[in-house]
Amino acid sequence: MKVDLDKVFEIDGSEKNTWTFLQDIPGVASCMPGAEITEQVDANNYKGKVRAKVGPATMSFEGDIEIQEINEENKSLHFIGKGQDTKGTSAAEMDLTASVRKGESGATELVGVATVTVTGKVANFGGRMMTQVADQILNQFGKNFANNVVAMGEGESAEEAAKVVAEQPKELNGLAFAWSIFVGYLKSLFGK
Amino acid sequence: MSTSAESIEREEKLQGVGCSRKRKEDPRFIQGKGNYVDDIKMPGMLCAEIVRSPYAHARIISIDKTEALALPGVHAVLTADDLKPLDLHWMPTLAGDVQAVLADEKVVFQMQEVAVVIANDRYIAADAVQLVKVEYEPLPALVDPHKSMDSDAPVIREDLIGKMDGAHSKRLHDNHIFTWDVGDKESTDQAFEDAEVTVKENMFYHRVHPCPLETCGCLASFDKIEGKLTAYVTSQAPHVVRTVVSMLSGIPESKVRIISPDIGGGFGNKVPIYPGYVTAMVASIVLGRPVKWVESRIENLTTTGFARDWHMEGELAADNEGRIKALRVNVLADHGAFDACADPSKFPAGMFHICTGSYDIPNAYARVDGVYTNKAPGGVAYRCSFRVTEAVYVVERMVDVLAQKLGMDKAEIRLKNFVKPEQFPYPTALGANLDSGDYHTALNKVLDAVDYKELRKEQEEKRANGELMGIGIVTFTEIVGAGPSKSCDILGVGMFDSAEIRVHPTGSALARMGTITQGQAHQTTYAQIIATELGIPSEEIQIEEGDTDTAPYGLGTYGSRTTPVGAAATAVAARKIKAKAAKIAAHLLEVSDDDLEWDVDRFKVKGVPGQEKTMKDIAWAAYNNLPEGMEPGLEAVDYYDPPEYTYPFGAYLCVVDIDKYTGVTKVRRFYALDDCGTRINPMVIEGQIHGGLTEGYAVAMGQELSFDPEGNIEGNSLMDYFLPTAVETPHWETDYTVTPSPHHPLGAKGVAESPHVGSIPTFTAAVVDAFAHLDVTHMNMPHSAYRVWQKCHELGLDKAK
Repeated sequence: MKVDLDKVFEIDGSEKNTWTFLQDIPGVASCMPGAEITEQVDANNYKGKVRAKVGPATMSFEGDIEIQEINEENKSLHFIGKGQDTKGTSAAEMDLTASVRKGESGATELVGVATVTVTGKVANFGGRMMTQVADQILNQFGKNFANNVVAMGEGESAEEAAKVVAEQPKELNGLAFAWSIFVGYLKSLFGK
Repeated sequence: MSTSAESIEREEKLQGVGCSRKRKEDPRFIQGKGNYVDDIKMPGMLCAEIVRSPYAHARIISIDKTEALALPGVHAVLTADDLKPLDLHWMPTLAGDVQAVLADEKVVFQMQEVAVVIANDRYIAADAVQLVKVEYEPLPALVDPHKSMDSDAPVIREDLIGKMDGAHSKRLHDNHIFTWDVGDKESTDQAFEDAEVTVKENMFYHRVHPCPLETCGCLASFDKIEGKLTAYVTSQAPHVVRTVVSMLSGIPESKVRIISPDIGGGFGNKVPIYPGYVTAMVASIVLGRPVKWVESRIENLTTTGFARDWHMEGELAADNEGRIKALRVNVLADHGAFDACADPSKFPAGMFHICTGSYDIPNAYARVDGVYTNKAPGGVAYRCSFRVTEAVYVVERMVDVLAQKLGMDKAEIRLKNFVKPEQFPYPTALGANLDSGDYHTALNKVLDAVDYKELRKEQEEKRANGELMGIGIVTFTEIVGAGPSKSCDILGVGMFDSAEIRVHPTGSALARMGTITQGQAHQTTYAQIIATELGIPSEEIQIEEGDTDTAPYGLGTYGSRTTPVGAAATAVAARKIKAKAAKIAAHLLEVSDDDLEWDVDRFKVKGVPGQEKTMKDIAWAAYNNLPEGMEPGLEAVDYYDPPEYTYPFGAYLCVVDIDKYTGVTKVRRFYALDDCGTRINPMVIEGQIHGGLTEGYAVAMGQELSFDPEGNIEGNSLMDYFLPTAVETPHWETDYTVTPSPHHPLGAKGVAESPHVGSIPTFTAAVVDAFAHLDVTHMNMPHSAYRVWQKCHELGLDKAK
């Protein structure tokens, strides 16, 4: 199944720092809960993995990230990530364009537009949850990303952000995650 | 036959035909002493698990077994490349196509079999499955059958490219399987042109799965010294499996033994031969150890034997008084990636030609086109004869659509168009030959029983109040008992069936049949037939089935063929014994055969009270005191090739109340009248009808295997797939009439499927009828609350006043 995502995160940092951090692929990857870059193959190709724990099941996706374009002018990054879970039952692909811009309020914004395609067990079972799950993953990503950018700056808030970054959970925690999906779902019911 | 109180008492003791004898199977099942494939364990047994594709369509780049083979307890990992030297990586299907046993270079449906792991136990095998590394290159998935024949459609079956002579017809496209048509197209088209009224409706009979409680499995054991392969298989047709296995493996058929032990429901799911069976057998031959493979529930729902998935366009032509002049049907049949339909070989669309139903329709034409898509293969007869459910659905829906167009009552239009009792045997425009029926009596009995007029009045009142109440009526005719071998065969073997009866010296009997019970109570009912024919108490008759080493060759149990074919063979075999018994009795009584008359369990000399020999006396004499020149023993075998199909029918009526705010549809009343000819065991029939109605309810109201555009199957576990329990199941009211089949030795027609075939369109009819005053003519199944609510919402009915 395919899910289209469109997200804007406000970043409490400069456009310049945000753009610099966006080009740090391993750094950006680490903002994704449970994700890490395991190998840089060449300038545009990386290998990585994502681990997610939902209840008793652990899913571990391994795959390749290929940078399609880094556009200094628009401050945008386009990459495609493809992976299969290590048990061979599911596969996922993400086509993401992220860019940095100054928002209407004057704050720095990170804009993400992505299409996520999943096949196999994760689609069979998780299909109906996909939109909420992807949404939650991205929200977590946005928070982590913002903290990383703030940590690049100076002063008390930067120190605090650095601390948060250091303590960031390395794995997608199923229960807390499920709770946040549930809350997100309730909000979507009554929020409109 | 004497009717004295004494002989009636003797007759009752036999527990023969017509008696609600308690099921002989139940004591072992309710005590948990059934013996299913997964209960059987053999010394040195290994377990198989299958590596499956996450993609619906992808090229296999590489398969790396190294890590899996390194896991302690793993004996082998087999792929298509390993089966190639044995020429077993592909196998024939029942429909004249071939199917990959293990994916050969490409996967063509999600969860297709890619490799099989053989290990000490199931846990190790499951762990090893995850260690087999398969690299895929995804290809675009073809999910919508309407796009299968597009010029830019991805070709699913590369093995068939350029092979345009299909098994059943010319192929029109690489993704086309067959065109099958029947009837007079010209006269039908003409009738439509001349008609005063015509109606047309598109309907989708969705993909469902029989979902028997026991999934499919096989325990294969190859004896290297004897060169003999024994396999316990969940099969509704063990002899067919034996023949196919022998043909595939080259092992002489005499050295292949297939045993179907207790089977936990089949419903068509256990007719085909699946890759899992083949891999277990191959692994056992290769490793010289018993190998067991048993499906998980998800594997069962996803990969073995789906049913239906037909996109149907129905049309009727009629005059202004509602007399039907012609029927035209066009079908697009989604067969998945391999054509593995379970139909008699010459019938790629099964018995769909019964689609003129119970009606006297002078002109008809039907055409079915089968196409490939990236979905699992199947197309089994889910509690129905081959495609009869689809046939009954389309004609019953269309009669309703016509009634609505003409503003006629839905019962009245049926009564007007029924084949009349004096018209039987009635040849239909599409080549069926209806053996017997009395449709008017059946429908009128139902209408009276439910007080139909009052129901319609109530509906009027409810409609005036803005409430939704629907009344669905279906008057179906089935075609069962495949079939006459002049037209019906499976892989060249005629669809007869068999019975072998041996009466022992002390008067008890053993009988073996070519059919196999999966819950139909054969042990109970076959004995009743023999009891009545031979005067031996049912309790003293042992029925055995399912072991190809002992049972006579038969084509198995599905398509309600056991009573029309197997029971006929049983009656004829018993009559052969009775004929011999008469000669022995005449010899013992020193009279001529003509002087004898049969009385329940004995031959009597006409007009000479006390001069008689019971079957028990005769059995003893058969082994020591025979007429001169007569061969000793008292046994017979019969291979019964039916002269015709049988045509059970019924009239069903359903009343639903729909909550327009939630779409929840409550079945208030369901009245089912069935006519299956002679009734062998009324209690078993009642059970069959309850089961069939419940499965019909499941299909109509919730079951569905759907796919997303990438070919991911949605809802392939019991979290989603609807199996009604006592909580959801409505209350069933049953009734019957008896119109015997004129050509069946017992007059019986078969019943197990009628309630499934008949009830599904009844639910749709009732739901649609609730909206009929709002010009709704059809709604596709399943009629889940959400989907019914969508209709309410679309019509603006869910707005609070």
